[in-house]
Amino acid sequence: MADLTTKYMGLTLRNPIIVASSGLTDSFEKIKEHDKNNAGAVVLKSLFEEQILLEAEHKLSQAKSNPFLYAENSETLDYLDIHLKDKELSNYLSMIRKIKDELHIPVIASINCVSSMEWTGFAKQIEEAGADAIELNIFILPFNLEHSCTETEEKYYEIVRKVKKEINIPLAVKISPFFSNLGQVIKKIEAEGADSVVLFNRFSRPNIDINAVKVSVAEAFSTPEEMYNTLRWIAIMANRTNMDLAATTGIHNGESVVKQILAGASVVQVASALYKNGHDYITEMIKFVDNWMDSKGFNYVDQFKGRLSQEKSTHPEIFERIQFMKYFSEIK
Amino acid sequence: MDDIKEYLKAERSKEWRTELRKSKKAKERTSLERALMPEADPNKRNKNIEEVNKGLLTEVALVEASRCLDCPNPTCITGCPVGINIPKFIKKIETEDFLGAAKVLKETNTLPAVCGRVCPQEKQCEANCFYTVSLKKTPVAIGHLERFAADFERNSGKMSVPEVMESDGIKVAVIGSGPAGLACAGDLAKFGHEVTVFEALHEIGGVLKYGIPEFRLPNEIVDVEIDNLKKMGITFKTNFIIGKTVSIDDLREQGFQAFFVGSGAGLPNFMNIPGENYNNIFSSNEYLTRVNLMNAAKSDYDTPVFSGNNVAVIGGGNTAMDSVRTAKRLGAERAMIIYRRSREEMPARVEEVKHAIEEGIEFMNLHNPVEYFANKDGRVNKMRVQKMELGEPDASGRRRPIPIEGSEFDIDVDTVIVSVGVSPNPLIPSALPDLKVTSWHTIEVNPENMQSSIPDIFAGGDIVRGGATVILAMGDGRKAAEGMHKYVTEKVKAN
Repeated sequence: MADLTTKYMGLTLRNPIIVASSGLTDSFEKIKEHDKNNAGAVVLKSLFEEQILLEAEHKLSQAKSNPFLYAENSETLDYLDIHLKDKELSNYLSMIRKIKDELHIPVIASINCVSSMEWTGFAKQIEEAGADAIELNIFILPFNLEHSCTETEEKYYEIVRKVKKEINIPLAVKISPFFSNLGQVIKKIEAEGADSVVLFNRFSRPNIDINAVKVSVAEAFSTPEEMYNTLRWIAIMANRTNMDLAATTGIHNGESVVKQILAGASVVQVASALYKNGHDYITEMIKFVDNWMDSKGFNYVDQFKGRLSQEKSTHPEIFERIQFMKYFSEIK
Repeated sequence: MDDIKEYLKAERSKEWRTELRKSKKAKERTSLERALMPEADPNKRNKNIEEVNKGLLTEVALVEASRCLDCPNPTCITGCPVGINIPKFIKKIETEDFLGAAKVLKETNTLPAVCGRVCPQEKQCEANCFYTVSLKKTPVAIGHLERFAADFERNSGKMSVPEVMESDGIKVAVIGSGPAGLACAGDLAKFGHEVTVFEALHEIGGVLKYGIPEFRLPNEIVDVEIDNLKKMGITFKTNFIIGKTVSIDDLREQGFQAFFVGSGAGLPNFMNIPGENYNNIFSSNEYLTRVNLMNAAKSDYDTPVFSGNNVAVIGGGNTAMDSVRTAKRLGAERAMIIYRRSREEMPARVEEVKHAIEEGIEFMNLHNPVEYFANKDGRVNKMRVQKMELGEPDASGRRRPIPIEGSEFDIDVDTVIVSVGVSPNPLIPSALPDLKVTSWHTIEVNPENMQSSIPDIFAGGDIVRGGATVILAMGDGRKAAEGMHKYVTEKVKAN
């Protein structure tokens, strides 16, 4: 039996499989189950500003229709969004404290931000509540036709800089692949002091229902095919950054865990696979990695981590190839 | 509803009303301009605590009362939370029967002198006045007239003590002596019950005393009402916290048959932004309580409040206005309101905003604090504010404030008062695990009789409403008194 112990941002994990920030990590009870199933760590569900605003809207409408609540002159309702945020934050912090008091699993708190204003102060409180690390989930949809790429990217660096200034625990930054020069962005995030980058975050995607002729939301879960872009960038960056790399999106089985680590990932994050196959599916993934290591004669994860990164691979050009030169031309 | 309409119709058809209507042509009435409330000089009053509004002179009140058309469909009443028979009391004033007018007010409103001063009439009765709705003119000054009648009665020395039924020896408790508690206690006493009011603070009056400053509601007005209640046989126990000093169970053992919880919304909310714990950052509750009730404005008292030179008050409601105007009176050179929406969206009464502007209060609308800084002693000395712009309206109909990235700048401050709302007092609900509360932490009650999920416990006012007005709280107290009376009478009969 191999030793799956992994180091991620200085934290010691019992194995490299982390439950990604999602609905799977929004309560103490669920985290307890992941702990029981031997997950390496958990990234808590992010606090979404948008979600809090929606909640505030809902509560305001309720207040307007409640004959007892006097909505019009109330200072409380005037600041409802702020109070709700405060309440959400306080629930979040209580959950972190409870997990740290009662369980042993490392906890990475997640903050979803689109601006540097709202959430940076919160990072300090997360640290004080006992979180082992923080993962910033940053995405600014770059549709602003007035802003240059550099201006948008600068916002990412500013957020990382501000949060890093507030905390002493490790900081991971989860980003999307949508940059014109992703490699440089990752290097700049590193220069701001981040300890890890998580590649890549996945978004709700729009769809169109042609029968109802209306806009809808596409399938929420990832598919195994989605992991290859992550694989490319993990391999490319593996020896070009000192940060840890975390691979996520499309990792649906033990085999893909092994692939990402071979490419250079320190850890992987999974969500869709657990949604589809149940929370205890993580034990099967761990077992697969264990058996594979045994079969290949690896005792430790570090022995195969990054073996097939771009730098170490015997075919480094594959990771940079973007056009199908031969494959499709042979299909008749 | 039909009964009320019939009653109002019958009242309106009485001879004296019909005669009075005929005595002046409608056009003559509508051609009159609304009476202006005489006010203390802004540059003098902002240095003392004298009442700002001076009250209408008799001759002015008479003219104002004659503006009321005594409409067949008095829509003003629909705007009043306790359904005061507004045309009737105004017409009583017009006939110079001022004591009669006060009597009409007291049929449905226990504290007319208070409501005449602090009710947001421009959003209630006056917003529904025929002048506002149909004539597009300034409404009859219903609030000013209410105050006039109530003040006349008080100053006449003929303030009647309401009749109380013979004591039935049934002990009932009222928790909290704010407007809801006082109204409830008054009605319970009228039913002949033995009423004890328990107050956590050392002064009776709740928010009327600790929350609303002297310059808006002199304590004397409240004290007269309290004296009246004492004359009715009500016992008041101050410095008495139910849930701490004794429990509800202890009181049950002492023979109390039913309880009214009117413990208000005294738990201040904060914004949870960095630096909010520095010294000299207060909640408006603490600031106003210390100044209004604990003589904190006087440096020779045990717990003086710091009289800042640069005072920032966060918020746009009435409590924010009370706080900023108090700070100005305590000597602040710069007293400012920092509010994240524009002036139009402020929940404060128009009159309070007008008074504040006259008194030299600075308004920083479309600004929101994001961080506080302190000197080496931990006292706040600077705040960072961010500019805001207005987006789409939210569910309250107000346009949502949106931060403008990169617009932050710093302001020197030495006192900050956070006035962003309050939550219901958690003491009673947390002491009673079976008591049902809403997601707002307010006590759930049956709207018919204000009875909670625990049969002998009734509730009303801010503990049920989150943050209401004095008149709504009083309405609750009275409705609960009726419910409690029925409950205890049946309970005693059953035993």
